[in-house]
Amino acid sequence: MTAVADRVVVLDGATVPSREVVGNKGRSIAWMLSLGLPVPPALCLPIDECRRFHAAGGELEDEAWSSVLAGVTGLEEKLGREFGGGEHPLLVSVRSGAAVSMPGMMDTVLNLGITDDVEAALGRLSGDEAFARSTHNRFIHQFGQTVLGADIEEPGEDATPGETREAVRRDTGEEVPGDPHEQLRAVISTVFGSWSSRRAKTYRRHWGISEEGGTAVIVQAMVFGNLGEDSGTGVLFSRNPLSGHPEPYGEWLAKGQGEDVVSGTHDPLPLDALASQMPEAHERLLEAAKLLEREHGDVQDIEFTVERGNLYLLQTRSAKRSPLAAVRAAVDLADEGAIDHQEAVCRVSAEQLATVLAPRLSKEVTAGAEIVARGVAACPGVAGGRAVSDSEAAEADEGGAVLVRPTTSPEDVSGMIAARAVVTERGGSTSHAAVVTRALGRPSVVGVGDGVTDGLVGRELTVDGSAGVVYAGVLPTEEVDPTEIPGLSELIEWARELSPVEVVDEAPGAVDLDAEGVMIDEGAPDPEALAERLRGAAAARGSVLASAEGARALIAAGVPKLERLPGQPTAALLLRLAQEKANLEEEKQT
Amino acid sequence: MTDLDLLALHGLAVKKAGGPEAVAAILGADEAGVAAALEAAVEAGRAAGAKGTFMVTPAGREWLDERYPEAFADFRADPAGTETYERFERINRALLELFTDWQMMPSGGGERVPNDHSDADYDHGIVDRLGAQHERAEKVIDRFAELQPRMSVYRERLDEAHDKTLAGDLDFVSGVRIDSYHTVWFELHEDLLRMLGREREEAP
Repeated sequence: MTAVADRVVVLDGATVPSREVVGNKGRSIAWMLSLGLPVPPALCLPIDECRRFHAAGGELEDEAWSSVLAGVTGLEEKLGREFGGGEHPLLVSVRSGAAVSMPGMMDTVLNLGITDDVEAALGRLSGDEAFARSTHNRFIHQFGQTVLGADIEEPGEDATPGETREAVRRDTGEEVPGDPHEQLRAVISTVFGSWSSRRAKTYRRHWGISEEGGTAVIVQAMVFGNLGEDSGTGVLFSRNPLSGHPEPYGEWLAKGQGEDVVSGTHDPLPLDALASQMPEAHERLLEAAKLLEREHGDVQDIEFTVERGNLYLLQTRSAKRSPLAAVRAAVDLADEGAIDHQEAVCRVSAEQLATVLAPRLSKEVTAGAEIVARGVAACPGVAGGRAVSDSEAAEADEGGAVLVRPTTSPEDVSGMIAARAVVTERGGSTSHAAVVTRALGRPSVVGVGDGVTDGLVGRELTVDGSAGVVYAGVLPTEEVDPTEIPGLSELIEWARELSPVEVVDEAPGAVDLDAEGVMIDEGAPDPEALAERLRGAAAARGSVLASAEGARALIAAGVPKLERLPGQPTAALLLRLAQEKANLEEEKQT
Repeated sequence: MTDLDLLALHGLAVKKAGGPEAVAAILGADEAGVAAALEAAVEAGRAAGAKGTFMVTPAGREWLDERYPEAFADFRADPAGTETYERFERINRALLELFTDWQMMPSGGGERVPNDHSDADYDHGIVDRLGAQHERAEKVIDRFAELQPRMSVYRERLDEAHDKTLAGDLDFVSGVRIDSYHTVWFELHEDLLRMLGREREEAP
């Protein structure tokens, strides 16, 4: 047994330690390596070490530290690089990783191991001195923030590492250590220490989580996509996230690094560019995507880097997808046998289905319509009405007005609630108007330009909060043809088979909750009280029954039929019912 | 005119509409005193009110705008106040971004869609970011409180909202009809802008 084996776990995939030992992230790295997937090598200080750290009064014991040093030497040997120096320097990331993720934990420090000499070497390797300097700057800034608690501005483009160090010193009175080993030890201690941060303790108290646990620390080699022609970085979706089409979809940025693809500061190429540039890496990537999708039973979003021809997977997670893609991927995955029908029905949220089915403006209508303003699409949806300039008028207009304002403040919230849509002259997607309309679900377009709303007051308008366009007149919206949406009819059919309640257009003698005053309002309805009211009913109707709580009450009360109200799509009702049935079954099992 | 006459009307202007209890809560002042000051403001035509809910009148706004420069002359002239306000603005920018991420989440292909709160990990990450900003905010409010002691009330109110988010009551991130983090932060911002005689910077 080496010291490394005693106090540090080398994540090499030979075994997959449990999350109680190495935390979620540690387990995930070991698991991917055990599948033969290329992941940058890493080592882990297990959760036990966090307990020892606290038992020792907030000190990393010398034995543990020697194990870390031996582990780092292992990483150096595996990659042929040197930590803290040399022509091929090794930089590492340090992350926390508990068995259950928790607020208040120190998250990540990147680029640890950079010094003035390493910066120079990185500049030579990448041929990009500005990149090397900014990597150095970002490290000092991040170390200052997370370890020393500095509250300073992000270093600018022209900042030198000396200036960033000075900013940390001015704010905290403390020095960022120059020796990478000292830095590493300090960051590991900060991660362990954050287990007993005030925020983490409060969270555990609220949720009854034991103080006995701890977090692991993952030290992982960093790879770079900007070290020459045969390097780059990209993102791969195992299926198209916009349409759900079952073909891999991705972007590739040759000689790009880290955030370059995601940040939108560079123009990446489609994945085919990688295929023609490095066919082997491309093929390996697609195989990995297929394997990960099969193992997870869901569409994957994979971040990867190619460093000097070697492919590395940096992260994989369930892919965010458009509502359209959610429907298609759920049905396709079920048809391929990766998931069953019930799981497929649960993969599409009622909100996603509502978006897919929402009325929209047809191209024919918008083509002939007069555009009176353009701005930032701040809250999706389409609504029209007469434009009013203040909240009182919005509240007075019973048909529903469009509130148009230079900008909004808390005074306007009552008017925003009363209005059907909102338009502002100033502000972007984070302005007050944008934030509040999204909370209220009112279509909105913000930042249409100074003075623009003056000409709008009193006119009839239609606000397309999905496109960021305001049209003259109240335009007709168009219903969606469900048969034109791939997968939708299968999904609805499966929901119908799974739902214990039949949805019908007419059910004579149905209990009418709206008539009884049981209506949907701000708070969620109480499913148990609802179920009590519905018990024994042969059928029911009501606005409240479109909610998850309503569906749950219908099932619990054993009501066989739900009468659909105008504006309640049958598909959405069936989906809710099938999902709540699945939830109830799952709760019964646990 | 007493200090409380000015402060109570200022508090009402920050709150937009409310009763003595709500105004007293944001000032950290005695409710009976605030109630009397608001009644006096109604008589002077600076506020209008019915059934215990008051609003500042246009005349009351003018009256406030005339008095702010003198009432907060020291605060406005203090370089520590200006420097602290710059720190506040940095956190403000980070928080506005966070509220957007809370309500609109990235979907495939770089589009943003309304957050339906079905992705617990995503929400969790944002609550964690809120906690990190809250820790920065605490320091900044402490600095303000050295100059204007009543500002410490905001620290308590933000702490309460943050604590509720940690306990899983996610409406307290940015709910509009409750004392959510966003609501209290917005009032704090409004309070500072009025005292310092600054304009609200909208996000680009």
